[in-house]
Amino acid sequence: MGGSVLERFDLDGRAIVVTGGGRGLGRGMAHALAEAGARLMIAARTQSQLDSTAEEIRARGGTVATFRADVTDSKQVDALVAACVREYGRIDVMFANAGGGGGPDVDFWEYPDDAFDHLLATNLKSTFYSCRAAAKAMVEQGGGGVLVATASGTALRGNRNFAYPTAKGGVISLTKSMATMLAGHGIRANCIVPGYVSQTDPKDDQEREQRAQRGAFIPSQRLGEWWELGPLAVFLASEASSYITGETYIIDGGGLAGGLGPIKFRPRHEW
Amino acid sequence: MPKAKSSFFDLEGKRALVIGAEHPHGAAIARAYAEAGADVALAALTADEAVMRIRGVQREVEAMGRKVSTYVMDVMLGKNVEVTMRQIVKEMGGLDIVASCPDLFLAKPIERTSDTELARVMQANFNSQYFVVRHAVEEFRRQQQPGRIVLVTSVLGERGLPNTTAYAAAAGAVVNLVRAAAIEVGPDRIQVNGIALGWMDWMQDRLRPDDEEAQRAVRFIALRRRGRADEVGPLAVYLSSERATRYITGQIFPVDGGLLQHL
Ligand SMILES: NC(=O)c1ccc[n+]([C@@H]2O[C@H](COP(=O)([O-])OP(=O)(O)OC[C@H]3O[C@@H](n4cnc5c(N)ncnc54)[C@H](OP(=O)(O)O)[C@@H]3O)[C@@H](O)[C@H]2O)c1
Repeated sequence: MGGSVLERFDLDGRAIVVTGGGRGLGRGMAHALAEAGARLMIAARTQSQLDSTAEEIRARGGTVATFRADVTDSKQVDALVAACVREYGRIDVMFANAGGGGGPDVDFWEYPDDAFDHLLATNLKSTFYSCRAAAKAMVEQGGGGVLVATASGTALRGNRNFAYPTAKGGVISLTKSMATMLAGHGIRANCIVPGYVSQTDPKDDQEREQRAQRGAFIPSQRLGEWWELGPLAVFLASEASSYITGETYIIDGGGLAGGLGPIKFRPRHEW
Repeated sequence: MPKAKSSFFDLEGKRALVIGAEHPHGAAIARAYAEAGADVALAALTADEAVMRIRGVQREVEAMGRKVSTYVMDVMLGKNVEVTMRQIVKEMGGLDIVASCPDLFLAKPIERTSDTELARVMQANFNSQYFVVRHAVEEFRRQQQPGRIVLVTSVLGERGLPNTTAYAAAAGAVVNLVRAAAIEVGPDRIQVNGIALGWMDWMQDRLRPDDEEAQRAVRFIALRRRGRADEVGPLAVYLSSERATRYITGQIFPVDGGLLQHL
């Protein structure tokens, strides 16, 4: 082992794709990865958001290119990875972060095919496509690399809005399998499991107040902030996590550690 | 009684020891074992009114036509567990099933939890289970027969809650004791499984009736109500029946109305 521990967090010149990098958590990851020295390719469907995130990153001295892609279409995802390789000569890390929830709030037995298919495509198939394309390129360039998927804490508990957590549960499972299958090629795979994280800075006091109220149900007494995903992304992408694979990194202000009662529930029973 | 439709869960001819039978869940497990056809030895953890309580269970089991005996087993010391277990096995003429149900709850802020309190909570809730496994394994091996061990613990072995550091740590220790012991003794056809209780209706010490927040905790249960003791017994029977669960070991099964599924 050479150098200081802080050097192990360096991403100097690493070519990194971040899907869903136009806004939200992906934007937070992209900012931090660029700051750690990575060369980025951020992707999403909304070009204007990609452009504004890229502008912010460049304004801070970062290297970033954008690629418009719908990650539910494997051809577009293959093209995204090809674009990264064209731009930077290689791909070192894939953040398969694009995704999102939603779906109709109907009884389980009424849940329609198209909603279920849509949520699986957006969250699970997209992760598979992104990681498959990245792994193929990584193996072709001689092995080594990192895959990081974004799952969700909802996947680890029961949920009325079930299709999204079901897909995210698949992401966790896929991560473990990828770690096993790809370890021999020097490719690590981990996933990030966010709890409740704000996707933007609050636009006014009213929004700040609403978020404070939602945050009151979390052990840390607040929601996470979009930029708090940054350091975790850097850690997982860098040599700082060189012996970590197949793991789920929960970032949820303590939410999943509790959940047995309301936040103010503090039993007292002394002898 | 209607004739059992399936012999999967039959404990006819089996000899079961229930440790901590003075607790509602222990008593319920003893009754369920007896209903399923087993003879049972009931062990109270302390020599006080616990003994009176297991006498009540004894009468119920007798009424079912099973053989039943009562003991006091101080589980705080390994030697006591060893000696009492030996005596019980001799008097029953063998042993097939051991269920262990200690439960000593303490809820205090960590900075006010003393060494003595921590030691006591660990001894009562964890060390006791360790001794039970150690000596049950010894007895099963001596008989050269398969055996079943069921350790009852808490969902706090998987999750945290303020003021429960000692108790939750002890429960967590039991959870992994189940796994480690199951792996170690599996080759001798001894199976070890755990039951994790959620918020049960007798747990007034954790869900105090005058504590509003405790009452709200019930809403975190998918089934929206506390569990009852009679809802624990069938799982213990399942985990102890030779035909139903011959290939299940090292697992923890919650009886929590879905509490652990709450986000
Ligand atoms: N925020 C939270 O509390 C939270 C909690 C758990 C998990 N997550 C996960 O974290 C990830 C990021 O979410 P977020 O909170 O940052 O949400 P967000 O602000 O809505 O951002 C989602 C990003 O993914 C992109 N995206 C969505 N569908 C896409 C598609 N089909 N093709 C290409 N890009 C697509 C979006 O861009 P376009 O719409 O422009 O395509 C956007 O850039 C998601 O996987 C989400 O499920 C978030």
